[in-house]
Amino acid sequence: MTTVITSSTKPPPPSHPIDVLNNDTARLYTHIHPVLVLSLYAFQFKAIVADPIPALTRTLIPLSILQIAYVAICLPPTGDTATAVPTTEKRKPGDKKKAEKGKLEREVGAKIIPAFLSLIIASAAAIPLLTTILILFGAPLTTHHAHTMLAAAHIAFLATLPLVYVHGVDGATWREIVALLKPVDEVYGGMIGTVVGAWLGAIPIPLDWDRAWQKWPVTIVTGAYAGWAVGKLLGGTLLKGRKIVFE
Amino acid sequence: MATQTLLPIVANLLIPVAILIFATGFFPYKPFMPGLAEYEKLGWEDVMEWREGSVPEAPFDKLVFMVVDALRSDFVYGEESGMEFVQSLVREGTALPFTAHAASPTITMPKVKAITTGSIPSFLDVILNFAESDTTSTLATQDTWLAQLRSKEGGKLVMYGDDTWLKLFPEFFERADGTSSFFVSDFTEVDNNVTRHVPGEMLNSDWSAMIMHYLGLDHIGHKAGPKSPNMIPKQKEMDGIVKDIYSAIANEDHLSNTLFVLCGDHGMNEGGNHGGSAAGETSPALVFMSPKLKDVTQRTKKTSPTKPKEGGGEFEYYRMVEQSDIAPTLAGLLGFPVPRNNLGVFIKEFLDFWPTGADRVRLLLRNARQMKRIVEATYPSVDFRDKSPRSGKECEPPLSDGQDLACKWHGVVDVMSSSNNHIKPEWRIEQLYWFMNAAQEKMSSTASNYDVPRLITGTAIAFVSVILTCLSLPSLRPITPAGVSYALILILYSILMFASSYVEEEHNFWYWAAAGWFFYLFIAESRKEWRSKFIFHPAIMLLVTHRVIRRWNQTGQKYAGADDIVHSGIFHGSNSFILWALVGATYMDIAVRLSKHVARSIAVLDKGSNSEDNEAVDANRFMGLVAVLPLGATAFVFKLAFTARDAPELTYGINQGLIRWVEDLSLVDVVRMVFLGTALSAVWITISEWKRRKNRRGEGSGDLALALFDLLTLFLVTQTKAQNIPLYLLFRFQLFFLSLLDLSPTAITTTSILLTQTSFFALGNSNAISSIDLSNAYNGVSGYNVLAVGLLLFLSNWAGPLYFTAASSLLLSSLTRPRRNIAIQEVDSRDWIQKEREHLEKMALSEEEGRKRRESGEAWQRHVALCTLWTGVATGSVMVACTVLRTHLFIWTVFSPKYLFAMAWGIAFHFGGTLGLGSVVWRAGRW
Repeated sequence: MTTVITSSTKPPPPSHPIDVLNNDTARLYTHIHPVLVLSLYAFQFKAIVADPIPALTRTLIPLSILQIAYVAICLPPTGDTATAVPTTEKRKPGDKKKAEKGKLEREVGAKIIPAFLSLIIASAAAIPLLTTILILFGAPLTTHHAHTMLAAAHIAFLATLPLVYVHGVDGATWREIVALLKPVDEVYGGMIGTVVGAWLGAIPIPLDWDRAWQKWPVTIVTGAYAGWAVGKLLGGTLLKGRKIVFE
Repeated sequence: MATQTLLPIVANLLIPVAILIFATGFFPYKPFMPGLAEYEKLGWEDVMEWREGSVPEAPFDKLVFMVVDALRSDFVYGEESGMEFVQSLVREGTALPFTAHAASPTITMPKVKAITTGSIPSFLDVILNFAESDTTSTLATQDTWLAQLRSKEGGKLVMYGDDTWLKLFPEFFERADGTSSFFVSDFTEVDNNVTRHVPGEMLNSDWSAMIMHYLGLDHIGHKAGPKSPNMIPKQKEMDGIVKDIYSAIANEDHLSNTLFVLCGDHGMNEGGNHGGSAAGETSPALVFMSPKLKDVTQRTKKTSPTKPKEGGGEFEYYRMVEQSDIAPTLAGLLGFPVPRNNLGVFIKEFLDFWPTGADRVRLLLRNARQMKRIVEATYPSVDFRDKSPRSGKECEPPLSDGQDLACKWHGVVDVMSSSNNHIKPEWRIEQLYWFMNAAQEKMSSTASNYDVPRLITGTAIAFVSVILTCLSLPSLRPITPAGVSYALILILYSILMFASSYVEEEHNFWYWAAAGWFFYLFIAESRKEWRSKFIFHPAIMLLVTHRVIRRWNQTGQKYAGADDIVHSGIFHGSNSFILWALVGATYMDIAVRLSKHVARSIAVLDKGSNSEDNEAVDANRFMGLVAVLPLGATAFVFKLAFTARDAPELTYGINQGLIRWVEDLSLVDVVRMVFLGTALSAVWITISEWKRRKNRRGEGSGDLALALFDLLTLFLVTQTKAQNIPLYLLFRFQLFFLSLLDLSPTAITTTSILLTQTSFFALGNSNAISSIDLSNAYNGVSGYNVLAVGLLLFLSNWAGPLYFTAASSLLLSSLTRPRRNIAIQEVDSRDWIQKEREHLEKMALSEEEGRKRRESGEAWQRHVALCTLWTGVATGSVMVACTVLRTHLFIWTVFSPKYLFAMAWGIAFHFGGTLGLGSVVWRAGRW
C-alpha cells in the first residue's frame, strides 16, 4: 500500500473478472465455503458477545485456515489466470516427500505458499489500515483498541486476503481496486460486501434495546460477515463481470 | 414557466403552515379554570353531621417553603448526603420525607407551576419557559396556593431566590429579592443573596408564607455533575440553613404553627443536567418539617440515611408521591380551598392530624370534588352527577377512561350516601383515594388531548409540500450517486424518526452518514485521478476532520457524559492556554481574511473610480489588518471576559491580571461594540464592492460573498461558547477540502445537508430540551426583550448549521476555490510546460463553469428545491411519527422535544438560513 507511483497517463490495461478454477472441487467448494465461514461465525457468536477479545482472536485461526483453503482450492493465484504454473523450485529445505505427487496435489501445495503470503500481507498491511479507517468512521478512539483491531483483522481476512491472493500487491492494480474500477467477481464482490456490511453494521448500536450484542464491535463484525457472504454470492453469480458505474 | 416558479414558492409556504397547524393540534392550549377556589357545598351534611361550609381546623398557619433547585432525593436521604440535620429530623419523627415525582419536562418554570397550582404543566410551558415574559405564562390570574394564602386575612408573602417566581407571580410579594440564574459558574453569590434575608425574616411576624429558592446546587450540577466535590459542601450549607430555620420555628413563639417544606423542583441526571425524564431528573426530594409532625409520625418510625426502596427506581426513597400533591396537602394543612386546577391528591400521612373520621373524610371530599370538576370538564359527555351507580350500567366493561372515572365517582357517591351504621370512615377514605388516584393518573396522561384532525391536516399539508417540490424539481435524470445518496438519506432519516432511541441519538446517524459520504467522495475522486499522496487526499482529510469534530462534544442520551474533547481536561485548569491559543487562532484566521476584504476596499478608495481593478497592494493589506484588528481583538476580549464569568475553570491558564481586567468590563457594552463593528464593516465593504462593480461594468467577482461570509463567521463565533470556537477552525478546514474537490451541484447540496446536521450536533446540541444552550442568548441585551433573546438563542444554537448553509452557497458559486482569475483565451502556447498548461486550462475551465453556474442560477434553484424537499420530508416524517406514536411512552420525553426542534429547523433554519442567509450569499456571489 505504501508503493506510490505518480499518476500515469497511459490507460489501465483491461482487466477481467476472476474466474473460479476450472475444476469440480473448486466450483463446489466456492459455494460450500461461505456456509462454513458463516457457520463458524454463528457457532462462535455467543462467545464473541460474551467476551469479544478472546473469542474474536480464537475465531481468527479457523477463519484464516478456511480462507487459505478457499483461495488455494478455488482461486487462481496472482500472475496466472489460466494456466497453473507449478512452482516446484520453491521447495523448502525440510521438504522431502515431494517426489511423486498427483497433479492436483502439486497444484494445491504450490498454492498454499501464496495463500500464506496473502495472509501475512493482509495482516501486516491491511489490519493497521483498516483499523485507522474504522477509527475514522467512528470507532472508539481512546478505548477498545484491541476490539477495533480484531474487527479490522476479521475484515482483512474476509476481504483483503483473497484479493491479495488473486491480484498481488501491484500498486496500479490496487488503485483500481480502491477506486472500484475492477469488474465485479466473487472476490471483489466479497470485499465490497464486507466493507458495506461493516458500515451498515453500525446502525443498531445506538438503539436502546439493551442487548449484549450491541456492544462494540459485534455488530460491525457481524455486518462484515453477512455483507461478505452476500457480496461474494452476488459477485460470483448475478453481477459477475459488470463494471461499477458511478456517473 | 410560471408553474416552475410558483410551485417552489407554494411548497415553501406550505411548510410553516403545516408545522403550525400540527403544533396547535399537538400542543393544545389547555384552558384553565379562572378565579380562586372557594369552599363549596359538600353535600351529605345529614349523613356526616358536619355543618355546611365548615372547615376542619388547620394545624398550621404559616409556611416556610424552601426550594433547592435540582435537589435530587439522594442528596437528602442517601448515605452519602451532607444533610445530616434533616436526616436527624427524619429519625426523630419531626420530618416526613417523600420522593416527589416530577413529570417531564423537568425545567424550573413548569415545575414551579406544578408545585404551586397542583396541575401538570403542558408541554407548551417549555416554549414559554424560554419566553418568560409572555403574559400567558404568569400565574397571576391562576389559582395557586400563593394566591389562596394571599387572599386570606393578613396574608402576606415574601420571596427570596430565583426570579422565576417573581416573573410567575408579579406583585405578589411584600418583600422580595430575586436572583437570576444567568452565570451558572456562580455557586455562592446566588445563595448568599437568599440566606442573608433569613435571620431578619425569622424575626418578622407579618408574613404568612416565606418562599426561598436556592440555585447554587443546580449550578454545581450543570457545571460539574452530581459527583462534583462542591456538592457535599453545598448540601451541608443547605442543611445549615434548614437547621437555622427549624430552630427558629422550634423556639420562636410567633413561628410555633409554621410548616416548613424543603423540596427540589426537579432532580438531575448523571451529567448534572435536567429537562428529560431520566429517573434522576424526575425524583426530587420533598420533606415536610415541624415539631408538630411528631403527632402524625408516632406509628411509623423511619430510618435515615437510607437506601432507595427495594423494587422501586434508583432514586425512589421512602414513599413516591406526585409533585402536584404538594398543593392540596398545603391546602389542607394550612386551611384554604384546594386550588382550582389542581390534580394532586392530599398526602394521606397527614390525615392523622385530624382525630375524627368525619373531618378526614370532609378534607378528602373537598379535594375529590375539586378534581371531579376538572374530570367533568374533560369528559363532558359522561355523567358525573351525584347518583348511585346501582341504576346505571356505567361500570360494565368495556369502559372508556371517562366512564371508568365516572364509575369510581359513583362509588364515592355510594359510600358517602350509606348510613354511618353500615360503613366505616376508613372505607369512605379508601373509596375517595381510589377515585382521586385514578383521576390523577388519567388526567396526567391525558394532560393533552390531541386534536387528531389537526395532526392529520398538518401532516397532509407537509406531504402536499413534498409533492409540489418533487414536481418542481427540474429533472431526476440522469441518476447520479449524489442524488441516490441524497434520496437514501431522506428515506433512512424518515424511518429512523420512528425509533425513539434514534431520535435521542440522531447525531450518530449524521456522523455515520457523513463518514460514508466522505469515503464515497474519496472513491469517486480516485476514479478520475489517483493522487500520489492519497493519505492527504482532500476527501480523506475531510474524514479526519470529521472524526475530530464528532469527538468534540459528546451528545445524546445513551453515552451522555462519555469522554470528549471539551471535557477531557486538555482545555481545563492550567491547560486552558491550549484552548485560548486555538480560539485566538480562529479569531486570527477570521481577522486576516477580513483584512483582505478591507484592504481591497481601501484600494478602491485609493485609486479612485477610473483605475484598473487590481488586487490590493501591500500597503493596503497592512492598512486592512490595522483596521480589522480592533474588531477582532474586541471580539476576543469579549469571549475571554464572558468565559471568565461563565466558565472560570477555562481561564485558569490565562494571566490572572488580564482576567481581572476583562472581568471589570461591561459585557453588554463590549458585545454591542462587536455587533456594531461587524455591521459597519458589512456596510463599508458592500459600498466599496458596489463601487468596484461599477468600475468593472457588470462583471461579477464574488468578493462580496466571501466578505459577508467572513463577517458572518465572526458573528457566529461571538455567539458560540469559547470551548466550541476552535470548531470553526475545523469547519474552515472542511470548507477548504471541499473546495478542492470537484463537486456537482447535487453533491454540494447533499454535503450541505450532512454538514449542517453534523455541525449542529458537534456543537453539543441534541434533540433534548436540556441541551439548549442559553448562555449566548443574552449577548448585548440589557433588558428583557423576547424577540432579541429568541433570535440570539436560535443564532447561538444553530450557529454551525448557519455557517454551513452560507458555506454551501459559496461552494455552489465555486468561490472558495483557489483562483487565478484567468480567462481561457489567455492560456496560450507560451505556457511551455505542458503540465502547467493543462493545469491552468483545467482551472480556467472550472472557473468558467463556476461563472456560468453563477449566472444561470439553475444550480441555486435546484439547491433550494432539494433543501425544501429535505425540510418537507424531515418535518413530515417527524409529524407522522408524532401522530402514530402519540400514545407512546416516550411521546413527551422524546418525540415532543423532537417536534420542537423540527419546528426550529423547518421554520427558523429553513427560512432564515437556507432561503434567507443562503440566498444573500448566493446573490452576493453573483455581484
